[in-house]
Amino acid sequence: MKEMIYQTVCPGCNIGCGLYIRESEEGALVVDFMKSSSANLGKLCRFGMKLPHYYSKATNVVDGKEADIKTAVKAASDKLKGAKNVAMLAVGATTNEEHLAFTKIADALGTVVNTGIGAYEEIPSECHPSISQGIPLDDIEKAGRIALFIDPYVQYPLLVRRLLAAKKNGATIVSVGCRDLNLADENLSINPADYKTELGLDSNSIIIADVHPHTDPEQVKNLLNLSLMTGAKIIFMKPFVDSTGVHLFGKGVGQKGLQEIMDGINDGSIKTLVTLNSDLLELMPNTDEAAKTLEKLDNLVVITSRDSPVNKLANIVIATESLYAKAGSFMNVEGQVLNNSGESTVGIDAMSILSKNLGGEAFDFHAIHDKMMKSVVQKFTAPKYSKLECKVMETAAPAENGGNLISVYNPFMWCDQPDDNDFVIVNMKMVDKLGLQKGSMIALTSDAGSVNVRYTVRDIPDGLILTMKKLPVVTGNSTVVKAEAV
Amino acid sequence: MVKVGDMLVGYATDENVRSRGASGGLVTAVLAAALEKGLVENVVVMKHINEFEAVPIVTDNVEEVLASTGSLHSVPVNLAKYAMGRKVAMPAKPCDAQAVIEQGKRGMIDLDNTYVVGLNCGGSMHPVTTKKMLVEMYDIDPEDVVGEEIEKGKLIFKTKNGEEKAIAIDELEEAGFGRRESCRFCTLKIPVNADLACGNWGVIGDMAGNATFCQVMNEKGVKLLENAIEAGRIEVQPASEKAIAIRAKVNSVMEDLGSTLEKEIFPDIPDEERMQYYMEQMEDCIDCGACKEVCPVCACGEDSKCTMFHSLVDNYKMSMYHMVRLLHLSDSCIACGQCSDVCPSDIPITLLQSRFSIPSQRRRNYQPGINLDTPPFFEVILK
Repeated sequence: MKEMIYQTVCPGCNIGCGLYIRESEEGALVVDFMKSSSANLGKLCRFGMKLPHYYSKATNVVDGKEADIKTAVKAASDKLKGAKNVAMLAVGATTNEEHLAFTKIADALGTVVNTGIGAYEEIPSECHPSISQGIPLDDIEKAGRIALFIDPYVQYPLLVRRLLAAKKNGATIVSVGCRDLNLADENLSINPADYKTELGLDSNSIIIADVHPHTDPEQVKNLLNLSLMTGAKIIFMKPFVDSTGVHLFGKGVGQKGLQEIMDGINDGSIKTLVTLNSDLLELMPNTDEAAKTLEKLDNLVVITSRDSPVNKLANIVIATESLYAKAGSFMNVEGQVLNNSGESTVGIDAMSILSKNLGGEAFDFHAIHDKMMKSVVQKFTAPKYSKLECKVMETAAPAENGGNLISVYNPFMWCDQPDDNDFVIVNMKMVDKLGLQKGSMIALTSDAGSVNVRYTVRDIPDGLILTMKKLPVVTGNSTVVKAEAV
Repeated sequence: MVKVGDMLVGYATDENVRSRGASGGLVTAVLAAALEKGLVENVVVMKHINEFEAVPIVTDNVEEVLASTGSLHSVPVNLAKYAMGRKVAMPAKPCDAQAVIEQGKRGMIDLDNTYVVGLNCGGSMHPVTTKKMLVEMYDIDPEDVVGEEIEKGKLIFKTKNGEEKAIAIDELEEAGFGRRESCRFCTLKIPVNADLACGNWGVIGDMAGNATFCQVMNEKGVKLLENAIEAGRIEVQPASEKAIAIRAKVNSVMEDLGSTLEKEIFPDIPDEERMQYYMEQMEDCIDCGACKEVCPVCACGEDSKCTMFHSLVDNYKMSMYHMVRLLHLSDSCIACGQCSDVCPSDIPITLLQSRFSIPSQRRRNYQPGINLDTPPFFEVILK
């Protein structure tokens, strides 16, 4: 029995956890631990342990029929030649090299690659380096005080050990959020106006937040201001394996957020959408609504390594090799370039042909990889913290719609992967108020529909309901729902 | 003629294997011979990536076996699971051999078709901690390391320029480096539970550094050695009385150190505080399941009691997953440390499990993974 062993990086977030994927002759996948990986010491979270589910292989499709890759690329070229109102989306769920290849197609089409994080456009560009590349993760363990604006247990689990190590080293941790965290010394639910006075941060402190496609830019500004006013370092965690790389290597101009892209499709200003490892049905809070929007497109061209829901809506699917098998690299949240051991260049080669067919440049993996590495060396030689260079910004109150159902974004939610998380979190007061009994369910109803879900009880602010799974009633970061016992 | 109980000193006949392998390359040569003469169909070996990383592979290629030479104290992997369902030979630390036997008891490994070449083990280290230790304690660039050895209570690193630097393990461990915690209280240093028990303890005089001391533990050990001799891959000679005595003395020192450290590592906890202690230790668990996945003695597969009785929606103060595992592994846990290594919340699971299981094992005079004479005590109680 022969097996292939690939050294790769977990695609669950931007921490860059090293691991092995063992692939048998029959194609069965097993995750194995890579203990020498400095980002994670071989440790993996629940998502990492379930990676074989993520790596479902895609099939080439042209107008609903299976095809070979050559036919799919040719059909994509025909569709895209002379196409108007084109948008391109790559959130960073693939290698640096594939992202750069995708930008060459964008060049040929006279457009840019959107990374889907609209918040960048609202924030002065001099702040971008501090948002895109954070601090070395080891520094978290040396901090005196840490302010958390994320739930590490659910959202970025490989931070938990860093935070516990910091506590052992004498740090205090304050959490600002919807759920009391066991590892926090203080759990606060406060407004941005009170951050500076209530959190007790100084230059020996670290602020840990995150930025993702649905982040409110005003909250990013608030946190940058907090960093500027207190001298605390700041790190923005990110949801995709190459989120840092795609910002560094992307053009960074004219970026549209996911919602803007959806709005553009709805208002007819976007007629053709080309995506690279970015499934809007998975990425948008409401799958059904996203599907209705995507159906309005004239052309949907999907370049992907996964068999994900959007493939079924696409006019053309160009199926590339699984992420673990690709030749290429990723850049993690601390700015480390991490290499795959895979040697396959199916995706790059397909994009090279597509680019050439569209009148653009042809390229190969090595040329792109060399360009990427030169760029890294020019920008920085070793991961280090980029001190904030901007001035304190004017901010508005974070956008709120008064929703009581809050989505706690996490790797399973971004990829809409199955997990044992089909329940919501409520507090004891809500249990009493709704008259919930052991074993009963909660019916949630919103404008988008209704669903019955299991519940568990934790200490969270009164009136809130938290979900770690995409629910059909969700319409945004928070959703107004009516809750009843069933 | 080789026979059970023989104590021999030997080395690989191939000069290349002998010079590249740890202690004369005998283990590599025995494994290669087992494959090429058809004693087994596969060999489990560690494929080197660098001095701090290697990945277990199952191979039927003799060249890959020969290329796997060299000791790897900073690659703490347990190899037992890679032997499942195969006619295989494998190198084994004492805890690898223990896991093989425990899996054999549970019908997951066919012990008649699994040949275990044991390696003395003074302890293994975590690769990332080792790199930090090299910089902070040895003033050596990890990239310059070409080999390492544990000898006479010291951890020795060899560098590209031919230099060696040794620091006492005690000193390293006091500074928070050195061996993994589970290795510190381990008292099984010579793999007497394997088919052959090999190592460099007791290799003296001209042979020092160039040969392996090998004790033949059973008939499979006899087969392994005779097969390698027949294949012309090794040469052996009887160990001297002095060599045997030195080996026993080193082992005794290592065992005593383990026993002493056990008392330090497991301070008493009053009975009334035990439950609270376990709950507090487990409370940062993120339910990844890695501790079960990596456990070399877990034989349950996917439909296991610990996962079937557990759900993220539960509200117990301590998860049923951990409660069931504590109980279920109490007659099989070998304290190999794999679960602690992979825990993303750095919960010292091995220590918690050992604190729970060692007293039960000792009360029943039972040590898991040593032989097949005593069945698991849960099985005895159930019968």
